[in-house]
Amino acid sequence: MTSSTHPFEQEEVMAYLDGELSANRAVSVAAHLRECTECAALAEQMRDVSIQLSNWSVEAAPASLTKNLEAARADHALVKETKRGRFAGWLTGKFPSFKNRWVWGGAGAAAVIVLLFAIGLPTRRREQHAEGLAQLAYTEQSRSAETAPSKSAASEVEAFMAQSRPSPPPVPEPTQPMIARTASVSLIVKDFGPLEATVKAIALRHNGYIASLNSTSPQEAARTLTATLRIPSAQLESVIAELKQFGRVEQESQSGEEVTKEFTDRAARMKNARATEERLLNVLRNRTGQVKDILATEQEIARVRGDIEQMEADQRALQTRVDFASVELSVQEEYKASLQGAPTATGTRLRNAAVEGYRTVVESVIGFGVWALQSLPTVLLWGFVLFVPARWMWKRFRRTAAPQS
Amino acid sequence: MTSDEQLILELQQGSDAAFTELFLRYRERVYGFFRRRMNDAAQAEELAQETFLAVLRAAQRYEPRATFRAYLFGIAFNILAAHRRKSGLNPTQPVRAPDEPSDPSGTNPENVIWVRQAVERLDAAEREVLLLREFEELSYEEIAKMLHAPVNTVRSRLFRARMALREILATTPGNLGGRK
Repeated sequence: MTSSTHPFEQEEVMAYLDGELSANRAVSVAAHLRECTECAALAEQMRDVSIQLSNWSVEAAPASLTKNLEAARADHALVKETKRGRFAGWLTGKFPSFKNRWVWGGAGAAAVIVLLFAIGLPTRRREQHAEGLAQLAYTEQSRSAETAPSKSAASEVEAFMAQSRPSPPPVPEPTQPMIARTASVSLIVKDFGPLEATVKAIALRHNGYIASLNSTSPQEAARTLTATLRIPSAQLESVIAELKQFGRVEQESQSGEEVTKEFTDRAARMKNARATEERLLNVLRNRTGQVKDILATEQEIARVRGDIEQMEADQRALQTRVDFASVELSVQEEYKASLQGAPTATGTRLRNAAVEGYRTVVESVIGFGVWALQSLPTVLLWGFVLFVPARWMWKRFRRTAAPQS
Repeated sequence: MTSDEQLILELQQGSDAAFTELFLRYRERVYGFFRRRMNDAAQAEELAQETFLAVLRAAQRYEPRATFRAYLFGIAFNILAAHRRKSGLNPTQPVRAPDEPSDPSGTNPENVIWVRQAVERLDAAEREVLLLREFEELSYEEIAKMLHAPVNTVRSRLFRARMALREILATTPGNLGGRK
């Protein structure tokens, strides 16, 4: 069996049995297995191997495993505790007064105050220094400014700043792993009738929606329905359970993509971009340069704002992917070929033949009339044109023939 | 029922109950993982215990990118490989299982021996993929990550293993005298 004679590789048949194919591919393989005895036999052999392997059972885990693990866990906890307590033990040995927890608390508070002071003092000094430098630069810039923006330009800038001022909805920081869940289910159903409406009803009942739905009803073939449902992630399991009640499950798979890092990274980039925008707005607010500098600043603000809006949109899309799991549903009807109707009665056939005959006669008469109307002018013209020479030739022929006779 | 992934996250928060639940869920399967690859039941028990302790120790480092099952058997696989290295065995070669059935109270002992000997005759790399798929129920992708191999390679190995096993099992049990 090769792909030249079969549309699927043998490995693909195996992957289908293992539930490793996409929903669409699985439906195709399932359809092929129903038609191809060779591939169906291969699938049966694969199943048989798995069944025989399941005979290889091992004895139950000994009870001592649980007991020993408990002991090992206790040791593990003890080691952690010992490591944590080693410094405290040394300290209380050296300084007996540290046995009192009030002394511990007081010492801790003093250490925190010293630490804050040590960090805060240089920072404050740096800030004061920076403020001094900024004041100096501002004074210098004011003196050297060649042109100051006019009153109308200033009002335009204010309007621009008002437009640029972000009003973002706060994007929540993830407190737990964010997982975008997807699932695919392939079903074979006997009763296809109310399926579409039922799928819609399920999506609505679970506060979800249908992202796409495609239904086909080919003549003399099984009907199929493919749909993408977006379901609140918390209700994914119950929706899949309901869908599986429609018929026999051909294939089912679920996966989750961890997007916490992506979300957090983007949140950090958004925060930075907003800070940049705020700084640029401050520059614009304290404008002292030339008009071209102000315009350049405005362009930069517009670019940063565009980036922020793009990131906000991406972040919301990601949040939606996490909030709403995607379910790829593929349903195929269990096709039953229907018998053709009974052969037509002889009387009916004769009547049909008579009607056909009459129709043919009428068609031929009309056809002739049409042909005659189309051709008659041409025939008359050529008849008239040819009549005179033909008559002359005929008379001449009569004259030459008469003396001889 | 709480998912495995939620339980390991609870374990990260220090929940002892979560660890106990995970242990109860996977005790038999982790023990079976080692027992199918080892001769010595006591050794299998010890390595199973080591696996759960490793989960406990490494819980803080767990990131829910993969299923907990793949994470757990990845740890078990590494512990087994380390044990084989220490014992001077080929890391991919399983220790030959005893001839007596592992589970006398379970299925027909003859069947157990028959199947086990048939599996032993497979190529080592193909056998490992087969065991990870059939008994640990890992997906192709999870196996590929564990073995650091492409998914297509895993699929091919699994197919060859199943085909070879089908051939071996098709012979009479009397012909399965083990590796010559």
